[in-house]
Amino acid sequence: MTATSPTPTAAGLTRPVGPAAGVVPVALALIRRSLLGTVRIPATFIPMIVMPLFFVIAFGGAFSSVTLLPGFPTDNILNWVAPFSVLQGASFAGFGSAFGAGRDLENGFFDRLLLAPSPRLALILGALGYSALRAFVPTVIVVSAVLLTGATVPGGVLAIAVLLLAAMGVAVSAGLWGLGVVYRTRTQRSGGLIQVGIFTAMFLSVGLVPLSQMEGTWLYWAARVNPITAVLGMARSGFVGDVTVDAVLPGVGALAAMIGLLGWFAWRGFRRLEG
Amino acid sequence: MSGPGAVAVTTPAPGRATALVPATVAMGRRALLSIVRQPATWVPGLVFPLLIAAVNAASLSRTVDLPGFPPVDSFLQFLLPATLIQGVLFGGIVGGADIALDIQDGFFDRLMSSPVARPAILLGRLGGAMVLGVVQALFFIGVFTLFGARVEGGPVAVAVLVVVAVLLAVSIGGFAAGIGLRTGSQEAVQNFFPLVFVLLFISSAFFPTALMTGWFQWVAERNPLSWMMNAARDLVISDLAFDDVVRAVGIACGFAVVTVSFAAMQLRRRVRMP
Repeated sequence: MTATSPTPTAAGLTRPVGPAAGVVPVALALIRRSLLGTVRIPATFIPMIVMPLFFVIAFGGAFSSVTLLPGFPTDNILNWVAPFSVLQGASFAGFGSAFGAGRDLENGFFDRLLLAPSPRLALILGALGYSALRAFVPTVIVVSAVLLTGATVPGGVLAIAVLLLAAMGVAVSAGLWGLGVVYRTRTQRSGGLIQVGIFTAMFLSVGLVPLSQMEGTWLYWAARVNPITAVLGMARSGFVGDVTVDAVLPGVGALAAMIGLLGWFAWRGFRRLEG
Repeated sequence: MSGPGAVAVTTPAPGRATALVPATVAMGRRALLSIVRQPATWVPGLVFPLLIAAVNAASLSRTVDLPGFPPVDSFLQFLLPATLIQGVLFGGIVGGADIALDIQDGFFDRLMSSPVARPAILLGRLGGAMVLGVVQALFFIGVFTLFGARVEGGPVAVAVLVVVAVLLAVSIGGFAAGIGLRTGSQEAVQNFFPLVFVLLFISSAFFPTALMTGWFQWVAERNPLSWMMNAARDLVISDLAFDDVVRAVGIACGFAVVTVSFAAMQLRRRVRMP
């Protein structure tokens, strides 16, 4: 962008004049546009705040006695459900970005982006960057709420940092899944399908109880192969004990695999959209 | 008149209001047709409760051994009434949203300009919700039975559960119709759904209140849904007892009376609107 004189548009994008802009500046401009959209429509933030808090209250309240089960990793249900609730909120963050892309596709703004000489990768990275930023919201809200109501964090600040990393990874993964669907359907109405995928992945995991409590059930096998289980293990590690490499590495690996696979899914959808 | 409404609503003789019963039957038939033709609106009400039940039953199967847990064969058996009621609550919202759709697309105004008996507009919708409630109840009981969760109270208890489901369908249908009539907005009806979901969660639906703690337990024990849920659950997990039947049916009747009265008030208000 060095040879260009950016022109601000009403949407918050800077439009290069002359050569095509680089990936990072365009992605940053798209993130800025999405953030402006969020400020202008605060209601889009509500599910990210309300749903994780609801999960904390509902699961923490209704299933508080599961910690009495022999071998349960913690005696404080808030420590157990808080990371799960954060990841639920983070998945909503990713869903929101995909929903925004669907809106752009429906109202024609996406066509204008495709006509611009911007790098294609930036269009996806902009949405994903916005998803990752939005993951801060449920993390801050839920962690603050549970710390005020009796949760402890044995892993300290590192535990919260690991939880945030997991939340950002889940937001990006959910965003990629959502973008892949939206690029194929070209409508916001595919939101239901996106949510079904996200909910299924989140619940067929160790969301409520650890693997050891599911032995002998079908869910044990589903949760074992579900990468969200490893991500949850990583996110929870500092809430049920110290943060360990053994807990974090599988989670990071699972996130990398999900982002790689879903990234391919989204990119293929994007290419189909262009074609 | 075109569209789904045209199929079922009978045309009265000029100058005379259509009798209540034929008009209600016609409106009920229309409501049922609109449900049947839009599976996307009611299939989630069958699938999601089953998915939640399957995950909870597998996750929490060992909790049945905790002291204070009611005597059950399995967690799935414990969940049967919760799944049934959850499904009916999902389905009932559809009827309310449809009445709001009638207002939004102008069909309600066309009904107003016809001599259709006014209560039939509401009763027809509730009739559709009742039929859907029966289908849902039998479906859930059938699926749970297939997976080994028996109704210990026998066929009579099953019949009572179906009656409870129908009354609940009327209750939630009345509530949703009342909101729909008040606001004329499908979105407003849908926005009340999370409230119903929260009420269900803060009850004995998914876990016994005896094993809850703190303010959550306090609220859950005072939630009328818990009272009805406990009575319905007793029909499932123990032998048939008359007081369980009276409690389950009585509380569901109470809900129905309150919400249908609310819907009737809103219908009167809507009819009088210029």
